Amino acid sequence: MADVTVAPIAPAHRHLLAELATAVALIAAPPLLSRLGFAPDTMSRILVLGLFGIGFDLLFGYTGLLSFGQAAFFGTGGFTAAYLLTRTGMSSVMLSLALGVLAAALCGIGVGLIALRRTGIYFAMITVAIAQVFFFLENSPLADFTGGENGLAGVPAPTFSLGFATFPIHSGWSMYGFIAACYFVGLLVARRIVQSPIGCILAAIRDNPLRAAAVGHDVHGYKLLIFVIAAAYSGLAGGLLGVLQGYMPPDAFSFDTSGQLVMQTVIGGAGTLYGPLVGAAVWLYLRDFLQESAGLGAQWKLVLGVIFVLLVCFLRRGIIGGLKDLIILIGRKPTGAAERSDAGGARSGEGGGVAAAVRRPDPPSMPPSRVPCGAPGPILAASALTKRYGGLVANNNIHFAVEPGELRGVIGPNGAGKSTFFKMLTCEVAPTSGSISFQGKEITGMQVTDVCQLGLTKSYQVSQLFTRLTVRENLTIAALASLRGKLRIDLLKSPARVRSLHSRVDATLELIDLTGRCDVPAAALAYGEKRRLEIGLALATAPTLLLLDEPLSGMSPMERIETVKLLRSISRGRTLIIIDHDMDSLFELTERITVLERGCVLAEGTPQEIKNNPAVQAAYLGPESVA
Amino acid sequence: MSLLEARGLHTYYKDSHVLFDVSLRIEQREVVALTGRNGAGKSTTLKSLMGVLAPRAGSIVFDGEEIAGQTSHLIASAGMQLVHEERRIFGSLTVEENIVLAGLTARERWPLGRIYELFPRLKERRDSRGTDLSGGEQQMLAIGRALVRRPKLLLLDEPFEGLAPLIVRDLVTVCRELAGEGQPILLVEQNLPALLALAQRVYIMNNGHIVHEGATQELKAQPALLRRYLGV
Amino acid sequence: MLTWATFWSQVFNGLARGALLALISSGLTVIYGTLGVLNLAHGAMFMIGGYAGYVAFTRTGSFIVALIAGSGVVLAVGLVMERLVIRRFYGRPHEDQILVTFGLGICFVEIIRFFFGSLSRSMPPPPRLAGITSLGFMVYPTYRIAVVGIVAISLLAIYLVLYRTRLGMIVRAGIEDSGMVACLGIDVHRVFMIVFGIGSMAAGFAGIVNLPVAPITPDMGDSILVQAFVVIVIGGVGSYTGAVLGGLIAGEILSISSMIDPAYSYVALFAVMTVVLMLRPRGLLGAEWRT
Repeated sequence: MADVTVAPIAPAHRHLLAELATAVALIAAPPLLSRLGFAPDTMSRILVLGLFGIGFDLLFGYTGLLSFGQAAFFGTGGFTAAYLLTRTGMSSVMLSLALGVLAAALCGIGVGLIALRRTGIYFAMITVAIAQVFFFLENSPLADFTGGENGLAGVPAPTFSLGFATFPIHSGWSMYGFIAACYFVGLLVARRIVQSPIGCILAAIRDNPLRAAAVGHDVHGYKLLIFVIAAAYSGLAGGLLGVLQGYMPPDAFSFDTSGQLVMQTVIGGAGTLYGPLVGAAVWLYLRDFLQESAGLGAQWKLVLGVIFVLLVCFLRRGIIGGLKDLIILIGRKPTGAAERSDAGGARSGEGGGVAAAVRRPDPPSMPPSRVPCGAPGPILAASALTKRYGGLVANNNIHFAVEPGELRGVIGPNGAGKSTFFKMLTCEVAPTSGSISFQGKEITGMQVTDVCQLGLTKSYQVSQLFTRLTVRENLTIAALASLRGKLRIDLLKSPARVRSLHSRVDATLELIDLTGRCDVPAAALAYGEKRRLEIGLALATAPTLLLLDEPLSGMSPMERIETVKLLRSISRGRTLIIIDHDMDSLFELTERITVLERGCVLAEGTPQEIKNNPAVQAAYLGPESVA
Repeated sequence: MSLLEARGLHTYYKDSHVLFDVSLRIEQREVVALTGRNGAGKSTTLKSLMGVLAPRAGSIVFDGEEIAGQTSHLIASAGMQLVHEERRIFGSLTVEENIVLAGLTARERWPLGRIYELFPRLKERRDSRGTDLSGGEQQMLAIGRALVRRPKLLLLDEPFEGLAPLIVRDLVTVCRELAGEGQPILLVEQNLPALLALAQRVYIMNNGHIVHEGATQELKAQPALLRRYLGV
Repeated sequence: MLTWATFWSQVFNGLARGALLALISSGLTVIYGTLGVLNLAHGAMFMIGGYAGYVAFTRTGSFIVALIAGSGVVLAVGLVMERLVIRRFYGRPHEDQILVTFGLGICFVEIIRFFFGSLSRSMPPPPRLAGITSLGFMVYPTYRIAVVGIVAISLLAIYLVLYRTRLGMIVRAGIEDSGMVACLGIDVHRVFMIVFGIGSMAAGFAGIVNLPVAPITPDMGDSILVQAFVVIVIGGVGSYTGAVLGGLIAGEILSISSMIDPAYSYVALFAVMTVVLMLRPRGLLGAEWRT
């Protein structure tokens, strides 16, 4: 999949440089490319397709939602604008385009609400089906509005009057200028979106939607948001096509249009914003070249199809992605040392971490940002909690209470139902009966996202990281959820402006001792580092109650010592509940232990009491062991 | 020559190092137990042997052939069978279909009747779909399915977990019978009584390492050892 | 003017159409259920079958030969496609699988267009099945009744293979848990290849059977693909019986709603799909939730 580098703290000038370069390229293109045989009309068309693709790239490249139905919005926007301009006597092209965008966005909401109920393959299928419906509607029942098979002709070009002068746009280079301006604006907006906190969150959703929801983001809300934005871009592109051609073609709604968009984006490189532009340029250039120069006639599409298949097989990240890889490869060769030290870093990350942990003083404790609830009584209380899976009773009538500030351990032999219990506490799974309250508030039946926003979160037994993102980006995502709430539409804001984001991320980094590795992609971390990041993700949401599911699993003895130290330091100012099988570590760390067996609470007490409890011994070692 | 000799196995789950230098051996006609707490690496060891999770380093010589890293279907053809912890019976197939399917590509197979003799309950339920079986019946089916192929080595991953004591008793009897007939078995279990009753030798694992190996009799005399690695 | 004759005629049309959809969709759903791959080139298989049958017919004049030869061609295409391309994509994300099958579908369409051009081709029904049959209160084209019969026999054949043969048993087990099938000594990759071939062949066979009903064009596969999607969403992805049921339902919806207003038949189908998605996301007979 395309590598998306989200850089929330990149210096501002780097952004502007890329945008300046784009502006220069757009201005320089006409003289340069017309020498290569590019007609102005073709170049305008490439830009329109590029704009169409920006929306799609936001949806697919950045959020991972593969839609084969963008033509529905392309056509809606285009025909709304064209209809207003040709049949209703509206004279302002800009206003018609804007209304087209609005119409497309509204359709986007409707379609999104249906299609986004499922993910992956289902989502792709549903978008195909919906787009076909639009196509069908456009052809027959709504033919009066869309001109049916004939389309809508006579779409005027815009005229800009500034009081003292009017600037009519003609076909040719002035049209190119107009469309280039629209494209540039569209690109700027898209880049802002990608660099905003929402851009980070979209990358997280693409990588690990489960975890994105578990750290407190409204995943469905963000998906719908980006779906509507993509629809808006499609609508604008459609409108511009009508203006460019002076004619709105009926095949704007066709499956072909959606399919070509997908192919162009993948060829150019998904997840880059510029990919669709490159892909469209390659597409149109090859189409003209193959047809005229190579004399292939109608087989140009076959050649493009074969190229597409080969790219998907061998160069999945497209042209731009391939170029990026090439540049990295070239940049790496003379400095092979850099590579070796990277790998060495990965291996010694553990050792370095351990040494550092032994050397450095206790890290500063990170206070939770939430004001602890003043209500007396347990911070978490479960009452008669039961979970049944068909005939199997995983948890049976569990009563459980934890006081604020406690360090509680939960142990139990195989099949005790510990994982199910935790899942119910975080509301990942709804109980069959019983209730749970957190800080005096009833949370039974709530969603994971909302519970996390209240201050209860979990770190997973099998690390659920955002593997393609760096350590810093991982923590940023978690922090953003608690600092911004579960859904905030701040599309154009820079993350630098999210208050206390940096301090929260930096403090967490220090606490989990990954400050030196903060720009390494999570996938490249050593195992022990990944487990620390896993805990860090939960920490960065500033929880008041933190559940840890087997934080010590798979760790070497050295790593265990270090992790126990970490857990002790984060327990200050927080309540912790830990499941694990490492008895030695748990007994050393915790104040109270609950023992589960066969879905029920068997015993509860201090570590010493539990050790000496014959029933507990019997549960683990069999009844005969109790001599 | 041992039936199975595994040496220096290092297995990773994604990039988590789960098995560290695991070596064990099983002789003909032996029942060997592998025990330890959850997360010790017992299941992973069986999966490495069966090719479900290929080891990154180490060797596994089974009946004279090196099989480390081969795909599970080739290892199954070589004569190993694994009864998974999750049982993994085919819910949409009937009991009989499950058994017949298992025997399709076996070089030698036990007749259906022999399986039903061993597990009369399965005969009663031969036309029931897998999803309709109780936990104990599913376990019987999983074991019966593995036996149909007359495996040279039978790997059992926590077969008694989560079952009622009476059913466990019946299954232990069946295992004893098989052992009596000379069926080599590698049994992963945390249920100590069953384990001590069936196995001749025991390996104990902790945190991905083998920490003890010895005859069952010796182990019975060392309750402290058991408590250290299995208890609280 | 809605008469009984018109009504029943449409119901029969729906049956014929639904039967074909059921056959096509069953191939798609079994492939997805077993391999976990959604084949966006499945519509192209339908189209290739039609063209292969057409070629066979023009050379031999025999409907039977067209059926056999055409199906054989699509079977071969399916087997080769799995072996050369699909097999490399099992470990890759779903999106990549969708993209590559989509690309292959486009290539197939363009290859056919290269050889046959864009004009439509058609084939008359075999003489014994041509003409019309009187059903008492109405007359109906004989061939369309035959379509229902032919497809019913094929669906029955597939059902028998799935539920009464050893290969079928392996496939059904593989749909549930292909890893476990491998542990029982069965080469799952070979099973996948066979399933892909036969699933595609089902679509190809439908394409030949459909020839006398409607002329074929290179891009007819697109709308068939979309309809097949809707069918398996309604019926439940991965379920053979779901595809059959969904296909028949879809056929009837399309036909009956076209009686009321031809313009909205497609919308009606889509509306039913949406309702199913809202109320029973896994489909009418869908077992597991494979997103």
